[in-house]
Amino acid sequence: MKFTLIIGDEQETRDFPDETTIKRVLEDMDFPLETVVVKKNGQIVLEEEIIADGDVIEVIKVIYGG
Amino acid sequence: MKTCTKCGAPEVIIEKKHSGQRLCQDCFIQGTQQKVLKDIRKYKLIDKGDKVLMALSGGKDSVMVLDILNSLYERNIIEMTAVTIDEGIKGYREDGVRIAEDHAKRLGIEHNLVTFKDSFDTTLDDIMTSSSQRGACTYCGVFRRWILNREARDVGATKIATGHNLDDETQAILMNYLEGNIENLTRIGPKTVSRSEKFTVKIKPLREIPEKEVALYVLARELEVHFAGCPYSQESFRGEVGQFIKQLSQNHPTIMYSTLRGFDKLKPVIKKEFTKEFNMGKCTRCGEPSAHELCRACIFCIEINE
Repeated sequence: MKFTLIIGDEQETRDFPDETTIKRVLEDMDFPLETVVVKKNGQIVLEEEIIADGDVIEVIKVIYGG
Repeated sequence: MKTCTKCGAPEVIIEKKHSGQRLCQDCFIQGTQQKVLKDIRKYKLIDKGDKVLMALSGGKDSVMVLDILNSLYERNIIEMTAVTIDEGIKGYREDGVRIAEDHAKRLGIEHNLVTFKDSFDTTLDDIMTSSSQRGACTYCGVFRRWILNREARDVGATKIATGHNLDDETQAILMNYLEGNIENLTRIGPKTVSRSEKFTVKIKPLREIPEKEVALYVLARELEVHFAGCPYSQESFRGEVGQFIKQLSQNHPTIMYSTLRGFDKLKPVIKKEFTKEFNMGKCTRCGEPSAHELCRACIFCIEINE
């Protein structure tokens, strides 16, 4: 299963097993969940959302230290 | 499938761990706006006819306050004006200034840009690259308060609204407690009233809204904001305390609310025991209110020029 991952100005295609959640992808990348909001195909979604083939996942870092 | 606990819609954008509530985009926006307006009434933050000066950085917090207070401005309940402070942080502040200007223009709100350079003949970058004796946040906080207060008087504002959120407030409570700054704790709250008439009342309409929900609100409302971290913030003790609370909140989702509620219960006692009695005079250098011969901004200016 392939999907597009966008973080800031970076965009890449990722390959993951079926039934993968956004949370799992973020955890694999050591991305703290409490600091981001995620959009799937342009809509804000929960991190538990399952990614489907061809989805565009955008991770928006919204909380910075300090 | 998880659905909105208010309307049953299937597209849920938030699950609030502390309350178990799940909300769709529309219910989240509406519920958040109602909560902020309710807090404004509960804590008597705004009176009809107030002229509110919005401290508008262009970041998520101040843009959200602007968006909600605009509903009062549109109904002629309040007058509103905005100010953006440019501290002189290269590569960081420029986007925020543009976004702040765009929002003020879009809403037809008077907007002023005030720089550290014009006010103090220096920038935060210059201070930090020269022989700074203190942390960046110390200079920045003192200089920003000085500008905000003067601007409020210049535009005839009766309230200054800031974007402090629940995370900011619990950080302030904890860091002042950990550092033993008990007198500072007496000044934390939804509304700060000084005994000097030359200090304008400050209000924090987002004091009970978690930072993550502020971010979610501006994204759900499709408001343009400047999402970036101040390059100096990582150096601060506040940053460390903030990380600690965020980690703790993972397994204890109500911890920020309970910190705030506990503090609010203690505050009358702290205020009674620890409020310092002093005569508020005038700074002999700049004329701003000060308990001493010189205000802190002028003390810093003199230090920097030495």
